[in-house]
Amino acid sequence: MPHEIAIYGVLVPSLLPVFILCLLLMVLLDMLVGRLGLYRQVWHPSLFRLALFVCLFGVAGLLLIH
Amino acid sequence: MSVVPAIESVPASSRWPWLAEFLAGEWRAWIFVGKSLLAIYLAAWLAMWLQLEQPSTTMITVSIVMHPHSGMVLAKSFYRAIGTLAGSLFGLALMSLFPQQRELFLLSLSLWVGLCAGGATLYRNFMSYGFVLAGYTAAIVTLPAINNPLDVFDSAVMRVSEVLLGILVAAVVSDLVWPERLRLLLRQNAQAQFNVFIDFVRESTAGNMPREQMEHANLALARAAVRLEDMRASVIFEDPEVHARSTRMRLLNQRYMAAATSFQSLHHLINRLQRGGSPSVADALIALYRPLGDALSPALAQQHQSVVLAARLDECVVQLPAQVAALRAPLSEPLAQLEFDTGAALLQRFVMELRDFATLEGSLREAQVRGSVEKVHFKRSNDIPGALVSVLRTFLTMGALSAFWLASGWPFGAGAMLLATVFSGLLAASPNPLSATTHTLLGYVAGMLGAFLVVYVLLPGSNDFAWLIGASAGFMLIGPYLSTRDTLPGVGPGYTLGFVNILALKNPMVYDPAHFLNDGVAQVAGLALAGTAFILLPSVIGSSWQRTRQFRRLREQAVLAATAPLEGLAWRFESLVRDLFQQVVTYTRPGSDESRSMLAWALAVLESGRTMIELRQQLAADSKIAPAVRDTATAAMHAIARLYQAPDAARWRKADAAVHAAIATAAEQPLRLPLYQLRSALRDDESPFATYIPPPSPESVHAA
Repeated sequence: MPHEIAIYGVLVPSLLPVFILCLLLMVLLDMLVGRLGLYRQVWHPSLFRLALFVCLFGVAGLLLIH
Repeated sequence: MSVVPAIESVPASSRWPWLAEFLAGEWRAWIFVGKSLLAIYLAAWLAMWLQLEQPSTTMITVSIVMHPHSGMVLAKSFYRAIGTLAGSLFGLALMSLFPQQRELFLLSLSLWVGLCAGGATLYRNFMSYGFVLAGYTAAIVTLPAINNPLDVFDSAVMRVSEVLLGILVAAVVSDLVWPERLRLLLRQNAQAQFNVFIDFVRESTAGNMPREQMEHANLALARAAVRLEDMRASVIFEDPEVHARSTRMRLLNQRYMAAATSFQSLHHLINRLQRGGSPSVADALIALYRPLGDALSPALAQQHQSVVLAARLDECVVQLPAQVAALRAPLSEPLAQLEFDTGAALLQRFVMELRDFATLEGSLREAQVRGSVEKVHFKRSNDIPGALVSVLRTFLTMGALSAFWLASGWPFGAGAMLLATVFSGLLAASPNPLSATTHTLLGYVAGMLGAFLVVYVLLPGSNDFAWLIGASAGFMLIGPYLSTRDTLPGVGPGYTLGFVNILALKNPMVYDPAHFLNDGVAQVAGLALAGTAFILLPSVIGSSWQRTRQFRRLREQAVLAATAPLEGLAWRFESLVRDLFQQVVTYTRPGSDESRSMLAWALAVLESGRTMIELRQQLAADSKIAPAVRDTATAAMHAIARLYQAPDAARWRKADAAVHAAIATAAEQPLRLPLYQLRSALRDDESPFATYIPPPSPESVHAA
């Protein structure tokens, strides 16, 4: 995949849509985990959520480059 | 900024409680200061590292968004991001429409900022902030590029990146580093609300309660309901568990309000019966109350456990019909039977609502969320004329500034416009914008002086980021620290904003005292002009003009109950009345005549409105009701709606007669119970209608 994509003639880094997709995915995950109450098992829920997001975004970004 | 205060506070707490309290408060304040500084410098460093044009925009964003509670920061950030995107898109569109016509451009920009400020006054949580930001961002994107329309796209991309970076840093720092959770506060509040309500019901099962006590209780209930809804709207950003329970919490709040209304109606009915010469019926109803009191009094340790209470209430619901039959038997007169039936139906409804409330509360405490619940919304009552005044004021401020800027060719007009935009929007929704502007202005000037010292005395000669922190941190921390003091609202944020704004970190740094002074003068002028506009066109929030209109709207909710489509009406009605009630009460002095008459009307609207909705639901559910009965009942409700619209003696007589006729037509059907309740509410001699009631018989006038 190219590193930049053109949206109506504006060059946008392709990581941006990936970032937004990851955010949406994170919201879905949050809903699921929140309903199941799994965050109560973690020491620092917000740190865990951030780490989870970094993992998601990192994997997606690496997949994009290769 | 270490753990020392916490350790010190342990032995001190026994001897000097005030000292422990003081240290705990200071500890929280310094944590906030530390977090703010960390976020501001981290944001500045990242902005420089990413080679953004104006790291100061990022720093300003962080300083505006920071708040001691992380849920607030996340909610603010979310709406700020939306506002920024909307504002920059509009700014771009405007610039592409009027690249050469400066007059038209400034006119439309002023109109846009005005509309955004008006929109902001319509919302009471951070959504209002999103509106302000949409206006403000359109200005910060376009104004610096106004001499160079071709640069506007780059300028927009830069500003949006800077703002979003600031939001991201503020959100991450406040959520990860010593997060102070709003969730805990929400839990405590929800728990307290439940306990207070249950205790209140249990204690009042003895039957009699003075009207005044009921009014105070209702006031507290309305406050609690609105506060919980406000908090919920912020906490969902902080905590995925609360987010998953959001629908349930909304429904819980609605059930709570419904139960409170039934309870209040029941009490008024019993009180009226006691005063109005039917003590035997009142006693029978109080006897019927006893099983409820028993159900709510398990062993002391379980008194606030919703699961236990729900099970006991469920049992009570099953047993009630038998007790109703037993207590009804000795009553022989038709009127007494009607009175008793009305009260018994209300009581049964109340017990069921209380059971649903307790069950839902219990399900919220479980670790897992199961199934789904009905979706309800907390409706707010918005004040359109008030918002229009804000639109007009902001538009005029911006228009005056633009005209001056165009006519004088002032090179720093853009800075003045920016500040005026920010503050006329941000402060439009505050209850006392004038004092807020003055405080902010003071803080802003102090911040500018601090920044002057830093830039021209401490900073020259510095060569790395650590030096920058060392030179500015001492002055920077004054702002966040001041904003934790409740006695000085607005000064802290003003200071931080002024400091960061005039510090104007650039990539690379420029030293230009003349520019610095000109910019400072322009910004203060913009801020002062925003304040002047609040003097010329005062804010309507809390004014008697607005209060009168809100009062009228409160009464008009009874019309809504009588005529609006039934779908979801009960929830809508309850929350609208509570919200209006809370808005009016905030600005009336407790105990004043105005506040008393307000309370009395709110109770009357709640009781009659709820009964009418109940009646309409019965009419809609049963298609076998004779058309004559249906018509007279509808006519009665319309007569009552007209009475609430503009209360006077003639309309009261018409409403009374119409309800009387409807009861006569309804004869033995269950429909006559809510009708009778409506009539009894109309004839309540402690309600606002008391002046219209013709004195029936001498002994019942002051029997209470």
